[in-house]
Amino acid sequence: MPVRMVESPAPSNSSGANPGQTSLQPCSLLSVGQAFSGTQNVSSPQKEEAWRVNVRIQGCDLNHGYLCGTMEALNVPMADTPRWKEQYFVNVGADCGLTIAGFYYVCFSCVDGSINGYYYDPNSSPFQKLELKTTNEGRSGFSFSSYELQ
Amino acid sequence: MPGSASSTHRPEGLIERLRSAAADGGEAKLKVLRELKNQIIGNRTKKLSYIKLGAVPFVVSILSSASSSADCLLVQCAATIGSFACGVDAGVKAVLDTGAFPHLINLLSHPNEKVVDAGARALKMIYQSKVAPKYDFFEEKNMEFLISLLDKNNENVTGLGASIITHSCETNDEQKILGDAGVLKKLIDLLGGTTSQRDASLESFATIIKENPEVISKFVGPENGRTWGTLIELTKDRYPRTRLLACVCLILIKNAAPSYLQSVGIRTKLILVLLELIDDPGQVGDEAVLTLSSFIADDEGLQKLAFEASTIDKLCDHLQKELLQAKRLQGIFMTLANLCSNLECCRSIILQSPKALNIVTAALTHATADVRVAACICLKNISRSVKYLSAGHFMTEAVIMPLIQLLYDTSTSVQVAALCTISNLVVDFTMHKSLFVQSGGVKQLVQLSKSMDSTVRLNAVWALRNLMFLVDSRCKEGIFMELRALTLTSLVCDPSASVQEQALALVCNLVNGPVDSIEYVFTEDGLLLNAVGRQLWSASKHEVLIQITCFCHSCVSAIRYV
Repeated sequence: MPVRMVESPAPSNSSGANPGQTSLQPCSLLSVGQAFSGTQNVSSPQKEEAWRVNVRIQGCDLNHGYLCGTMEALNVPMADTPRWKEQYFVNVGADCGLTIAGFYYVCFSCVDGSINGYYYDPNSSPFQKLELKTTNEGRSGFSFSSYELQ
Repeated sequence: MPGSASSTHRPEGLIERLRSAAADGGEAKLKVLRELKNQIIGNRTKKLSYIKLGAVPFVVSILSSASSSADCLLVQCAATIGSFACGVDAGVKAVLDTGAFPHLINLLSHPNEKVVDAGARALKMIYQSKVAPKYDFFEEKNMEFLISLLDKNNENVTGLGASIITHSCETNDEQKILGDAGVLKKLIDLLGGTTSQRDASLESFATIIKENPEVISKFVGPENGRTWGTLIELTKDRYPRTRLLACVCLILIKNAAPSYLQSVGIRTKLILVLLELIDDPGQVGDEAVLTLSSFIADDEGLQKLAFEASTIDKLCDHLQKELLQAKRLQGIFMTLANLCSNLECCRSIILQSPKALNIVTAALTHATADVRVAACICLKNISRSVKYLSAGHFMTEAVIMPLIQLLYDTSTSVQVAALCTISNLVVDFTMHKSLFVQSGGVKQLVQLSKSMDSTVRLNAVWALRNLMFLVDSRCKEGIFMELRALTLTSLVCDPSASVQEQALALVCNLVNGPVDSIEYVFTEDGLLLNAVGRQLWSASKHEVLIQITCFCHSCVSAIRYV
């Protein structure tokens, strides 16, 4: 699902752009292919619970302040009343029990690539904290993969 | 009973009468010329037939031997010659080869206005053909003659002057010399004339200002506000062709000097006028589409205005009409492509319409190569939507199969367009990318990566690079088995730096993923690793060096500390 990283679009070379807006600074940890893993705290007053979450960045347009990727939630228990939005889910069925009605509000650290934030949806448990760190996926350091759209 | 009378009306019979008319009196010549003219007017087949039978030299011979007082004969000769030249390049060639040109020029100074008209019309027909002789504007006498044509109070003569400019003005120097000679002002003055004068003048005006900021800046300034106002008024003219030509002129001014067309209101107006002109089923509609396409190309602001004017809906409605000509289809796809080049909102509208994407993919198999190319470019720009790519929207048989077929197209430009589109579609983020691989796409990409044509090679490697992005191990192995270390090595060392860059990015994607992916660079005695090492010392393009750095980083990160 697309995640808007800044409030307003960054300026571009086209006419009609708003002057005075700042775009995201490039950062090698915020690039296409980069993986993150961590947790999303979905605890309720009745129950302590956290999902393991993996994120991979798939699209990155800093000029327009736009980021796109996939989020994989693990160990998610099945719900009785699932919600589904086909356009954004990959590899799960209609009864997956996940909702994407809300928004993630996150901060990205350019120092260590960690992502921290909260998922907000008035119809879901409050204060679902998201904590992600970059992962090297078994390597001893970062590796770079890329694509370039024509 | 029909006998010799019908045989004399047959082409061969008429030719005989033409031949013998040279010796006959004026009335006989006039009669046979009228018959010939009436047969060929509006009939391309008959024109070609009579040209083949050698009619043109006889007509020119009558013209050259006619006395200057034989007004009717002069008019008929000129009209017949003009008819042969009208829309038929072979006719123009035949007319020029038989030396008609100077005789027609002489008619322009005849005291009888009807003779002048006929001569001017015939010459205009010649200058509407690309095989007409090039006019030398640098020759002083030629420029004087041209200006004398534009100064005449006769719409056929001024129209001839404008036709000469439209035909022969090609270079910036020619534009400049015409601008310096004050031709632009004369053309602007003719905008107040008849419809025919207006259209001819607009066309010539566009020819002189096209892609020439210097000529435009000298002419279109605050002191020429009247010109600007006139052009804008003409976008509301009752005649479609006039509205189109006025739009073309304004857009050419904007393209060369963007500061001249800042007003959002006027920009939106132009878009709406062009959209309305697209309703015309003929040439005006075809040109309106192409004009709109070039207007919004490379300008995100204009693309946004066009989007807000519901351009996509209107173009998609047009696409659903049956039997659209190739040129119209090409123009519509290019306009949609330009709309989708930057704006996600435009891509979304098309992708959410069940019919629109089907129409684009159906056009991938169109009989005309230009339409296939335009459809590919349209699909390529639509597929810039990472959102829909990641949803797997494009990885369907309906889209992928015709594109793979285009990799075998006889036209190189179609192959390249298909490669560019495929290079986007294979970034579908599903790690197995099975549909493309199972459909035999990899084999042909690898084949094209060995093409002698560097553009084909570049785009094939680009597609392979994107295909290799985040692909799973099994698929990666399959691609590498097809590609082989040797081919990849030669691409890394390709004569073209752009190919090197894509090949190195492909290698980075190859070694990315599970740690044992690094083994690929050690196959065949480290062929790939050595090649990259050599490039490290010899490469100069910084994008190539960036990829080498990324590769080195990936290699180091794969080292396991014991």
